[in-house]
Amino acid sequence: MSATSPSTVSEASPRVFSREVVLLLCVLALLVLLGLTALFSRLYHKKVHSMADAMFARGQVDEQAGQLDAALADYRNALAYNPGNPRFQFYLAKALEAAGRGDESRSYLLNLLSETPGSGEINLELARIAAHRNSIADAMRYYQGAIYGEWDSDPIAMRWQVRRELCEALLARGEVTQAAPEVLALAQNTPAGDLPRLKIVGQLLSRTQQWTRALDLDRKLLVADPTDEESLAGAAEAAFELGQYITAMEYFDRLPREGREQPDLANRYDMTERILAANPFLLGLPVEMRAQRVANALALAQTRAEACARQTGQSLEQITPQTDLQRLYEQGKNLQKDWTLRYLEGSPDRLDAAMAYVFSVESAAAAACGEPQGDDRALWLLGRSRSAVNR
Amino acid sequence: MSDAPVVPVTSAPVTTAPETAASPGIAAPEERRHFRARWESWTHAIFTLREDRFFLLLAVLIGVFSGLAVVCFRLAIEWTQIMLLGPSLNPTFPRVVLAPTLAGLVVAVLAIRVFPQVRSSGVNQIKSAVYISNGYVPFVTVIGKFITCALAIGSGQSLGPEDPSLQMGAGIASLIGRSLRLSQEKVRLIAPVGAAAGLAAAFNAPISAVLFVIEEVIGTWSAGVLGAIVLAAVSSVVTMRAFLGPESLFRVPPFRVAGPSEMLAYVVLGIAGGGVSLVLLKWIAWARPKVQALPNWTKYLLPSLAGLLIGLVGLRFPQVMGAGYAIVDQAMHGQFVWQLLLLLAALKLLATGFSFLSGTPGGMFAPALFIGAMLGGAVGALEHHFVPSLTATVGTFALVGIGTLFAGFLRTPITSVFLVIELAGNYTAILPVIISTMIAYGISRAYQKDPLFDVLARQDGIVLPSIEERREMTSFVVEDAMRTDLVLVSEPGDHIVEVARQAEANPEAALLLRMRPGEWWLLDREDVLRLAPDATRTTTPIHAKSKGPVPYLFRDQSLAEALQVMGDWPVLAVASRADLGKLEGVLTLADTLRAFRKAPTEEAE
Repeated sequence: MSATSPSTVSEASPRVFSREVVLLLCVLALLVLLGLTALFSRLYHKKVHSMADAMFARGQVDEQAGQLDAALADYRNALAYNPGNPRFQFYLAKALEAAGRGDESRSYLLNLLSETPGSGEINLELARIAAHRNSIADAMRYYQGAIYGEWDSDPIAMRWQVRRELCEALLARGEVTQAAPEVLALAQNTPAGDLPRLKIVGQLLSRTQQWTRALDLDRKLLVADPTDEESLAGAAEAAFELGQYITAMEYFDRLPREGREQPDLANRYDMTERILAANPFLLGLPVEMRAQRVANALALAQTRAEACARQTGQSLEQITPQTDLQRLYEQGKNLQKDWTLRYLEGSPDRLDAAMAYVFSVESAAAAACGEPQGDDRALWLLGRSRSAVNR
Repeated sequence: MSDAPVVPVTSAPVTTAPETAASPGIAAPEERRHFRARWESWTHAIFTLREDRFFLLLAVLIGVFSGLAVVCFRLAIEWTQIMLLGPSLNPTFPRVVLAPTLAGLVVAVLAIRVFPQVRSSGVNQIKSAVYISNGYVPFVTVIGKFITCALAIGSGQSLGPEDPSLQMGAGIASLIGRSLRLSQEKVRLIAPVGAAAGLAAAFNAPISAVLFVIEEVIGTWSAGVLGAIVLAAVSSVVTMRAFLGPESLFRVPPFRVAGPSEMLAYVVLGIAGGGVSLVLLKWIAWARPKVQALPNWTKYLLPSLAGLLIGLVGLRFPQVMGAGYAIVDQAMHGQFVWQLLLLLAALKLLATGFSFLSGTPGGMFAPALFIGAMLGGAVGALEHHFVPSLTATVGTFALVGIGTLFAGFLRTPITSVFLVIELAGNYTAILPVIISTMIAYGISRAYQKDPLFDVLARQDGIVLPSIEERREMTSFVVEDAMRTDLVLVSEPGDHIVEVARQAEANPEAALLLRMRPGEWWLLDREDVLRLAPDATRTTTPIHAKSKGPVPYLFRDQSLAEALQVMGDWPVLAVASRADLGKLEGVLTLADTLRAFRKAPTEEAE
């Protein structure tokens, strides 16, 4: 039987007392140890948190100074002493992303996202990484997460900014179809009086080829500021793309000369001038002028057909025409005697038919030989805009 | 175990105060009396608990003490690290070399002169306490481990705090158990209880700690101690979390495990983990006796030399210094390329070897986690390189790698699986972990007969029971020894002449008489043969002398149970569980011993 067996214990009362004392001492020791541990723990945590904060602050300074490596080291040190701090993790992730270490950054952000799935900031950073990796589906998902996520300050402005970034990211990757509804949503979320943002939306509408909306928006902007060059340029471009060449020219004319000479605008301006110079349908033109323009257009179309035939190795003198171009050329030859300047001047009712023929030739040549340049392009664009109007 | 109360503090009956119409003047003494009665009742209830219940209460106390000790220990390591290596993760040149070198010198002097018991493995010291010294773990070892390990790990030696924590828990438990003069059996069991508490707090993983103690220290699922171990582990983790927070050792990134085809990736990891475990095991097993054979004066310099070497490695790769939890965390978040991961695994293996072989006190758990995570990450990143369609992240492989190396190196497969699950906080990774750890464990077992702790014990001149061997020891059952051809069963209505004729034809066979289902009587052969010649028509086996009902067993019961039952019986009956009336065979002492004798022969073959 062991020394502590019940019978022995019950017989030896001092033993009972001693166990009581031992237990009491244990509890006292426990309390002392608890107090000491609490004290040391508090001191330690205070110390390491202050160290972590100092390192984090140093990291921010380094990052602002462009010293990314130093900033990364500081952020890591800060995290070593305060590993659960989401702010430190977020800044480290951002610095890693800035340093081109997207994979590392992503793992930190995913970790943060698992803890706060509704965070707009984290979703945005993940979206940027996904966009950088050309992972459009992920980027869309995270951008949407950021748009509908939580933001600490000015959530409406942040969401607008994120959606704009999403549009830019999609457009930068040529995803115009996907970008279009986002630009529309952006337009709907832009306050009517916020001119700088409306300008941005106008540009995005143009880049997503939503020309009617772009023109409407630029017109509104021009009501507020009639001399705003960006709006004038935007309106001119939109009107041009919509085939409203007279309107486009009005806006071009309101632009200062330097504004018109910007490379992207200069081409459109030049083309608008050519179109207006070649257009026989302008109101107020005398009949002679109309006939002259139609005759010029017929000559240009014939030359274009011949050049295109040479380019593609076709013979326009076929007995049985095979291609559209050959058929149109054959048709033109038969009508040639009717399309003299004098005949056209005397038969204004034939002008439309002649121009329709011109547009058909230009269209067929464009299909066979690619988009034309110069005056041929002017006629081709004019034909397209008229067919669009007719449709 | 006695069911009697252990400590009857007072035998005074608890009486309630008589209900009287108390005037305001006598209300206060009444209340005091009532309070005293309740107090006495309460203390009586505690001190008169049965010893096993009192043991459970103590387990909680031990858990809280161990948790506090581990918190202080971890804070001490962190403080030491900040003081010696500076606050940065990349220590500057003089510190990174000088700190581990000089600290190594101090640690060596302390470990040799002041705390000589701190040099050996904590796990083995606890096993020694359980199997050799009746649960005695000197408290001075707790103090020694605390000081020397905090200094060593804090200065950058490549060791971990888990093994010292485990030993500190055991030391605290042993002190409490001895002070309270528990029974010898309980004092012997209390050290593993403390060990589980210490390890649980160190890992922040109570289940793994419980499993480790059972798998490596005790070796059996003893119901008598399991409850106490669980209580101690849980209370220590709760205490630890109150001070250091609930976060796991590493932040495990979100992950998912795809279809079965991806499991092949973890087979590769298991093979790699098994190989690396073997390298580390073999290296330590080979080099340690050689280091131990060096002249005694060199032992003062070895920790310092190891510190210098680690410091030199740390100049370029500071990640290998210390326990390295932060680095494992980074690896899990995919912050290293595979080449660096592989290099870090190799360097850590070297650095850990230097530290451990030099005799610097500290544990091998954290280095094993580190090497496993780096190796897992490297294998995962390489597999991603060749199979980009793999959905598992590098972090997942690093996590599984931890369990893999743990299983291969420490040879505790169940603990390894649960450690990963506890670290991850979910069961998603369970299949990969099981696959990988079992392969690593199998490889390690196949090429290294003795597990690490057995090797270390033998090198230290102690023969501790091998828990692995015990765990896997063949358990012999009745079926292995019973015989079906050496019994003749007769019925009460049989004629004795017929029984005697059969007995003469089978001189070795036992003669059993089936009285009713589950009751066989052993007949005296001589008496049957004696009665047969003069038998009348009505003479049956019942008329022969008998030893009465033979104890019976079933074929799945162990031979150890059979030996307990056997007593003076020359044979035991083996009955069928499906039909108690059916005799399946008999068991004799000779057959039982023959079965035991056959076992080592089969093993050798």
